[in-house]
Amino acid sequence: MARVWDNLREWYRDRRSRLDLFDETMVTRQANPFYLLGPMLYYFWLVTVVSGILLMFWYEPTPEGAYNSILHIQHAVPLGWLIRGVHKYAADGVILCIILRIYRMYFLGEYKRPGELSWMWGFAGLVLAMISGITGYLLIWNQRAFWAAKTVLTVPVYFDELTAKIPVIGERFNVGSMIAYLFLGGPAIGAATLTRFYALHFGISLVLLILIEVFYYRTRRQRLNMSLFPILVFSAMLVYISWALPAELGRRADPNRTPLPILSDWYFLALYQYVKYTPPLWAGLGPGLLIGFGMLVPFLDRSKGRRPLERPFFFVVGLLALAYFLIFTALILFNIAVIEREPPLVLLVTTVVLSLAFVWEIRYRRRQARTVPQAAPAPARAAAH
Amino acid sequence: MYARDGVLPMTRDRTLDRRGFLRAAATLPLVGGLVAFASPLLRFLKPNVEPFDVLQPTRHDPPAGEPVVAATLAELQKPWDFKYFVYTQKYPQYTPEGFLSASVPGVAIRLPTKIRMPWDWVRATGETPQFTESEIIVFSRICPHLGCIYNFVGDWREITAGYGGYVPPRERQHALMGCPCHLSIYDPADPEQPGRVLSGPAPRPPRTFFYTIEGDRVLVRRVEPGGIA
Repeated sequence: MARVWDNLREWYRDRRSRLDLFDETMVTRQANPFYLLGPMLYYFWLVTVVSGILLMFWYEPTPEGAYNSILHIQHAVPLGWLIRGVHKYAADGVILCIILRIYRMYFLGEYKRPGELSWMWGFAGLVLAMISGITGYLLIWNQRAFWAAKTVLTVPVYFDELTAKIPVIGERFNVGSMIAYLFLGGPAIGAATLTRFYALHFGISLVLLILIEVFYYRTRRQRLNMSLFPILVFSAMLVYISWALPAELGRRADPNRTPLPILSDWYFLALYQYVKYTPPLWAGLGPGLLIGFGMLVPFLDRSKGRRPLERPFFFVVGLLALAYFLIFTALILFNIAVIEREPPLVLLVTTVVLSLAFVWEIRYRRRQARTVPQAAPAPARAAAH
Repeated sequence: MYARDGVLPMTRDRTLDRRGFLRAAATLPLVGGLVAFASPLLRFLKPNVEPFDVLQPTRHDPPAGEPVVAATLAELQKPWDFKYFVYTQKYPQYTPEGFLSASVPGVAIRLPTKIRMPWDWVRATGETPQFTESEIIVFSRICPHLGCIYNFVGDWREITAGYGGYVPPRERQHALMGCPCHLSIYDPADPEQPGRVLSGPAPRPPRTFFYTIEGDRVLVRRVEPGGIA
């Protein structure tokens, strides 16, 4: 037992020493835009935090005052529209960079040894950024915000169905409802919910930022591994978008009317479509399993190579995830969802594609096993040099 | 000053001298007064709530609401006439007002035929229905799926066009109810299970209101418990 523990600690120490949060160790690859994603993410994050703190000067976290204070920021505060726009679009930039960076790490096999911990932090970062995002867009207290918060916080209630099957605890606790209560601060969305979301929205960013500053302080790495030119370009881009496409306000929240159609923020759209397809318990379990899979990918993928074609199964899984993300987003934008037609189709496609990928993986490994004996003498020759 | 040598006066000399007596005579009422003054504070030492039993089942405070007129019979004369209303429920809460109000939007519908009211839950609340069959049914408009407010849609073609492309079978091509959030479709007139889920992810039909008819008013008394308002 002690041996296992020591091994684990050794593993953790080693991976921590090679931890790469924002591609700051990939200095030589800066010309490649894919390796600019890390520093861009950090840059957008800083911009989001700073503009967010500026917004806090005027924002009022009460159900009565929230929407009015946003109107005030947008129209009355000098350059308020700019601060709000920059905050929104920089936050979108953070999410976009995390997503693209995760796909890069996935398809280039960067999550493999010794990058496991970097991958896990990157993936946890996506989840936390999405939580920060959804708690952030409730703060506007418009229709989209209100109904997003309501549906998201009703999802855990269905966990009661699961916990009811646990012998002693299930009879006494409604664990799911307790989770919902914790975030709602009561039986319905109200002032308490807004306060809690405000705290989460701000807290997640701030605590992580402090941890990252400590990390940089201890590793003495360069904070922003990016030259001045991209920084200027991205800053100009943020200002231009905020001016050309002001951050939207939506309509004031009305608890008695759900608008049709209603959409979430762009990065939740695919998940939203998934929720339409599945029974409500799976609306919570599915994303949970997806997060679990994401976190454990480095340990599930035991293949040797880093290149996509050297690990066919996981390559196809990644492609499938990307395809579903895009298809579901498109479907929800066109407001198409027929329960009788689409979920069986999705299930069928998933099963067939994954089985084919599995066959491909097996065949690839067999072929590798056949070719390896012939290639075996090569190291001996290399040693002779 | 007595304790300069570390020995208290009373232990040095057991007899009560004049100074000691006067001191006691002055101190006793003073201490008594202080105790009298402070004694109300002692009750804070005794807990006035039962100790929190961690293993108790979670109890949700039952919400309660005042009866509300959902519609008048004149407003629900023809089949598929409907009327929206809002019923206010109050939950005991630790707020300055002592409760939190949550509104439950509802819809009262006149159906073309009489159906059995889905009121099995009413008896547990201590009320007895006046009737078991009726042409008027009153639903809570909170979607039983994830809590959005669904709509009563008078024309089923509008359901097909706006709620994800579901086409109802011929016998159900009448007014339906559809939720904008996740596109659950309900049939309010299903005789076996009013509000039956025709399509979408909803796990059950919408919750119903218990109502009585007083004169020409449809008086909504209670909403089926469960779900988050």
